[in-house]
Amino acid sequence: MLEFAGLALRYPDFEACYDLTVPAGALCAVIGPSGGGKTTLLHAIAGFERPSAGRLHFNGQDLLPLAPAARPVSILFQDHNLFPHLTAAENVGLGLKPSLRLDVDERERVAAALAEVNLTEFASRRPAELSGGQRQRVALARALLRGKPLMLLDEPFGALDPGLRREMIDRVDTLRRSHGLTVLMTLHTPEEAAQTADLFAFVANGRVEAAGPWDRLTAPGGPEPVRRFLGR
Amino acid sequence: MLRPATLTALAILALACGSLLGLARAGSDIATLATLGPYLTRLIASAGLQAALSTLLSLVLGTGLALALLRRRFPGRELLLALLTTAAVAPTIVIAFGIVAIYGRSGLLGSLARSLGAEPPSIYGLHGIVIAHVVMNMPLVTRALLHAFEREPGERRRLASALGFSAADCFRHLDWPVIRREAPALAVLVFLLCFTSFAIVLSLGGGPANATLEVAIYEAIRFEADFVRAAALAGLQLLICLALAAAMTALTPKSREEAGAERNATRPDLFALRRLDGLVLILAAALIAPPLFSVAGGLGAMTTLASAEFVRAAVTSAVIAVSAGLLACLLALLLASGARRLPQRSRLPDLAAFAMLGLPPFAFVAGLYVLLRGFTDPASLGLVLVPLVNALMALPYAYRLLAPALATSAQRHGRLAESLDIAGWNRLRLVEWPALRGALGAAFAFATALSLGDFGVIALFGGPELTTLPYLLANRLGAYRIEEASALALVLVLSAGGLAFLTQRWSARHA
Repeated sequence: MLEFAGLALRYPDFEACYDLTVPAGALCAVIGPSGGGKTTLLHAIAGFERPSAGRLHFNGQDLLPLAPAARPVSILFQDHNLFPHLTAAENVGLGLKPSLRLDVDERERVAAALAEVNLTEFASRRPAELSGGQRQRVALARALLRGKPLMLLDEPFGALDPGLRREMIDRVDTLRRSHGLTVLMTLHTPEEAAQTADLFAFVANGRVEAAGPWDRLTAPGGPEPVRRFLGR
Repeated sequence: MLRPATLTALAILALACGSLLGLARAGSDIATLATLGPYLTRLIASAGLQAALSTLLSLVLGTGLALALLRRRFPGRELLLALLTTAAVAPTIVIAFGIVAIYGRSGLLGSLARSLGAEPPSIYGLHGIVIAHVVMNMPLVTRALLHAFEREPGERRRLASALGFSAADCFRHLDWPVIRREAPALAVLVFLLCFTSFAIVLSLGGGPANATLEVAIYEAIRFEADFVRAAALAGLQLLICLALAAAMTALTPKSREEAGAERNATRPDLFALRRLDGLVLILAAALIAPPLFSVAGGLGAMTTLASAEFVRAAVTSAVIAVSAGLLACLLALLLASGARRLPQRSRLPDLAAFAMLGLPPFAFVAGLYVLLRGFTDPASLGLVLVPLVNALMALPYAYRLLAPALATSAQRHGRLAESLDIAGWNRLRLVEWPALRGALGAAFAFATALSLGDFGVIALFGGPELTTLPYLLANRLGAYRIEEASALALVLVLSAGGLAFLTQRWSARHA
């Protein structure tokens, strides 16, 4: 279970304070207006931002003292998830050893991870030779290979076509179930995850202003900010 | 119809070719060229060795310093950056003065060595030239690489943190790809600058053994009035430099749109390398700061400048420098306007701009002088030719600053501007100016600073009627009037530093 309470971050022009609990193995879609603090929340969980106060626990473990690499977290950004000078297989291999000195067993694991996202034949291609969707699948393969139980997705499919976006969300959901992952995913178009996500967190003004299943949030009489955001 | 960029490029190339032809026609004894073979081989070999050593050291030290500055935030970082800019734009004659003041037999280190009972080595020769070239070019490498490192998307640094990269992994996956992309063109540029170096080689070379083609051309014109030899040397230098300029154009990375969401993301190797970075920063500051600060001794000698000669030289310098700065920016803008026509962009403007790196200013100006002397009073030519040649010499730098800004603007808004029929002056004012003004300010300041400190063409035209501050400084150094020389050097460094500071403020404001 992922829990954060009073998780506060302060910037000269922005203050955030988050409270939320996400059950283990759930897929939580983080939605809200641009500049509302969705990415800041994910960066705080990943360890890129240092909160000034609050609690951040995952399965009972306090994450705040841990460096980004030591946290049980893998993260995907919207872009620049891959190093352009490395092949798809090497980019995935970074998840095992950044030195890329992989033994036979590790190379097999890389190949298996690529196979899991249907990219076996693209292993030797560089990112510039892959489509946007293929690049994100490579990043997904690396995240899976790292075996971290908490996956953060920061609008990773925002630049893809709607059909491909839908397909990628389904793929994440399948992988989440088969690997037992807890997933937090920020989204621009929440309707696409309506059938998949267990939980929606509406983040605005640096706060989780509402949280719950899609049906409850969007029902008549649901939270006003969410309905206004969705134009209902 | 020919476009402004093509017309400007053709005009510049015609001027260059015309001046060389004029120079060649002025001479009569073609037979002497046959004897130049062994002399030329020795000249090119020694200049090539000197330039290769200077380039290697500038690149290695400049890269180390750029990485240390990328990783560290510390009090005085901005001062060090301003110092680097000052060293890059400081007049070469001032750098030569600073090197002698610190490393010379009577300089700071020489006096220190003598007080310890050791006889200090002479600074004159290959090592003196290389030290001076590193002091001047290492900052250039550092600034260019730091800019390139900082443009990389922050997501990669965050990814490196999340994947637990070590310092070696960071170098391999974050830094090395950038160095591999940027360093070849930078190396060619620094080699070109060192291969064509004049004031430093003339001041610190210690004799003909370390002469460059540029110095040989100057000697042929000034002391032997051997225009045929000068034209032959100039033609050779032009060929070598054109080949290098072509290599640089081919190696210059294409402008890339890699805007990341976060540029200021921290790196995971900050802790591991803090000692190494500290050492690099101290070494770099120790190499660059003393020659620049050595001119501070001129503060006590400022009263020696209270003369009509100094005022006349200062006014002449200012007029020449501002004219050259404006002209360089105008020509660079005209050439860069070719970048609007993406993707059918012609390479001719690149060739015209970078050809100026290889064109020996002495041969160029002597050729123009020979061509024009029949039409006007030769004495009045200096005031026209010096700013013109200074502007053309600054053109490659101004162009390098302006062309990418204009190309990026064309990439981002070119099609939109065309669809809205925004063209000509309106396009410049509404679409390109916001992207251009930062680079334009930097280009003007850089070209002005370069002209302000120029001790090249003025060495040919200088005299009682036409005196600039660098000419006066060289004159005072030659007459061993060191106090007055240090005061003049201080004025020049403060002028260059002031321009660098204003440029930085302007660029930061309009970034």
